[in-house]
Amino acid sequence: MASKKMLCSEWEPINPMEYKGIWVYVEVEGGHIHEASLQLLGEARRIADELDTYVGAVIIGYGIKELAREPIYYGADKVFVVDDPRLEKYYPNLYGDVVCKLAKKHKPEALLVGGTMRGRELAPYIANNLKTGITADLTSIEVDKETGDIILIRPPFGAWMLAHIKTRNRRPVMGSVRPNIFPTPERNEDRDGEVIEETIDEVLDPRMEYLEYTPIEKAEEIPIEKADIIVSGGKGLGSKEGFKLLEELAELLGGVIAGSRKAVDAGWIPHDRQVGQTGKTVKPNIYFAVGISGAAQHIFGIREAKRVVAINIDPDAPIFENADYGIVGDYKEIIPALIEVIKEMKMKKSGSAKN
Amino acid sequence: MPLDIIVGIKWVPNTTAVNIDPKTGTLIREGIPSVVNPHDLTAVEMALKLKDKYGGSVTAISMAPPSALAGLEHVIGMGVDRGILASDRAFAGADTLATSYVLAKVIEKIGRFDLVIMGHETIDSSTAHIGAQVASWLNLPYVYYVVDAVLEDDGNTLEVTRILENAYEKYRIRLPAVISIAMHTFNPRRVRLSEKLRAKMEKPIEIWSIKDLEIDPNCAGLRGSPTVVSGIDFVPKVPRKNEVFQGSDPKEAARWLLSKLIEEGLLDL
Ligand SMILES: Cc1cc2nc3c(=O)[nH]c(=O)nc-3n(C[C@H](O)[C@H](O)[C@H](O)COP(=O)(O)OP(=O)(O)OC[C@H]3O[C@@H](n4cnc5c(N)ncnc54)[C@H](O)[C@@H]3O)c2cc1C
Ligand SMILES: Nc1ncnc2c1ncn2[C@@H]1O[C@H](COP(=O)(O)O)[C@@H](O)[C@H]1O
Repeated sequence: MASKKMLCSEWEPINPMEYKGIWVYVEVEGGHIHEASLQLLGEARRIADELDTYVGAVIIGYGIKELAREPIYYGADKVFVVDDPRLEKYYPNLYGDVVCKLAKKHKPEALLVGGTMRGRELAPYIANNLKTGITADLTSIEVDKETGDIILIRPPFGAWMLAHIKTRNRRPVMGSVRPNIFPTPERNEDRDGEVIEETIDEVLDPRMEYLEYTPIEKAEEIPIEKADIIVSGGKGLGSKEGFKLLEELAELLGGVIAGSRKAVDAGWIPHDRQVGQTGKTVKPNIYFAVGISGAAQHIFGIREAKRVVAINIDPDAPIFENADYGIVGDYKEIIPALIEVIKEMKMKKSGSAKN
Repeated sequence: MPLDIIVGIKWVPNTTAVNIDPKTGTLIREGIPSVVNPHDLTAVEMALKLKDKYGGSVTAISMAPPSALAGLEHVIGMGVDRGILASDRAFAGADTLATSYVLAKVIEKIGRFDLVIMGHETIDSSTAHIGAQVASWLNLPYVYYVVDAVLEDDGNTLEVTRILENAYEKYRIRLPAVISIAMHTFNPRRVRLSEKLRAKMEKPIEIWSIKDLEIDPNCAGLRGSPTVVSGIDFVPKVPRKNEVFQGSDPKEAARWLLSKLIEEGLLDL
């Protein structure tokens, strides 16, 4: 029997029709706007044009006014700014509360948040305070041609499939998006838009105190999402030692190393070097998959690699179906052979250059 | 100052055992064993470490079908004092908003607690939503990706260190609060048979239904979930060359590969 759906008693009733505009939460870190936020502005622009509505950017913090026009250059029509000394330090509940206040006032139809670590911490709190749904790690956005509904799309359990997720009767439609899922739009200073300065009367007591920020010293390495050549290792390497070989190969080719989730889970390589659905999307010219079976969630992260090279001991490993060039064999033999031949070639070249 | 801690654990299919049928692209589910989400074992370890140091208690909670009792027994085997399984047909089909609501109600019913600890994320859905949502329902301060927590002398504040992409941050957070533990921070301790036996003898695990929790059925399960899957389609496969080296000599293989890449202008050696 079709009965009228009763609303959860904890949810304030809303009228979804009143909600307009595609919003992006703009994350500021160390005086800069995070690239993930810029990427979302480009995608928000596309959706807003399709729905004939505006793109809104939310920037909050202290001393951030000079950044307020920046989102406009990347596609925003309106920028809602809260510049307030009480927001000098980031507290997830405090920042979340301020974004909720703005969203309650202006009623955006959608709100997108970059899937940085802070973004992933903040977004579900905002969604929950607004009693709306949220989709993590969406990979594309569509507008239903008939109903105008915004549909968020993400790979579920098996990444060969994509789930289309709708938000029934609640607004804004919310999602978080990992960095590099969408391209960074071109900055265009000729674009025009409106900066709206908002003030907040009462802010939440965060019940937290910010004590210390200590940057992590990292070797000057190219982040994997920017690398042209990636040598990536999986569970098949058998140990952390295996990565030394990969490192040597990567260095010879001017590339970097990365890994599968199993390699990360084993502690052989840090999480920020994980490729795949729950790691990073990479777009190198050459991606070497060494001892990686080729699970859907892994392949998802390399769909934009120009060429994929697979080195695997098992001729039936699915990675070969997803590779351009494959070598069946033990990496402990193949990688040293590659290193040797490359060294020979380099020697010949420098030799002939000298003559 | 003792700490009363609640840990959220989820019983998930062991994804390292999950295979996908490469022909149909569907998940092969038959015979896949379930495990406690590995990142939740890290959270349990953190809770037990705090209890070892300051005294108090650790209660594990889960919203799941009855099969998840095995997960609660597992963590009781590690030294958790009490387990509560929120289980009811009405909880089925929940998205993260509805799941976190039930968990928040469980925590409210437990009543006395200082700290809620969650895992980094689950390996089956990987949303990392539940911690923040529970904090929102309970109106508590929260912080994610914790690697260290020290109780201050007043017994009411916790100094936590957390890790971000490029930095450590330190916060002082007033209790009660919610934290999630960064993955791989600790190695979870082993299950001890004597503890597991205790789980069988003393029955420290309770099952709470929607009635026990006095939850409005419109707030739980499918009905309490704003998001629905409206369709599934397949990821278009990226066309690849699928050339495989024929032969067994590693150096020949290496030459073959490098010449291909050089030919295409992708390498300059
Ligand atoms: C929601 C979800 C999200 C996920 N996200 C990701 C993600 O972002 N990234 C990711 O990578 N995975 C992800 N996974 C996990 C994924 O399903 C696989 O479990 C994982 O990718 C497998 O890693 P692997 O290929 O290194 O290991 P395995 O599947 O164990 O493969 C090891 C391979 O090494 C080969 N091998 C063994 N010995 C040798 C040798 N001596 N020389 C050469 N080859 C050898 C074997 O033949 C085998 O093919 C996710 C899973 C889920 C459920
Ligand atoms: N059904 C559940 N029951 C208890 N705790 C859960 C449940 N689902 C998630 N959690 C907790 O919330 C964390 C984040 O989960 P997720 O949002 O699914 O990635 C997990 O690591 C658990 O600690």
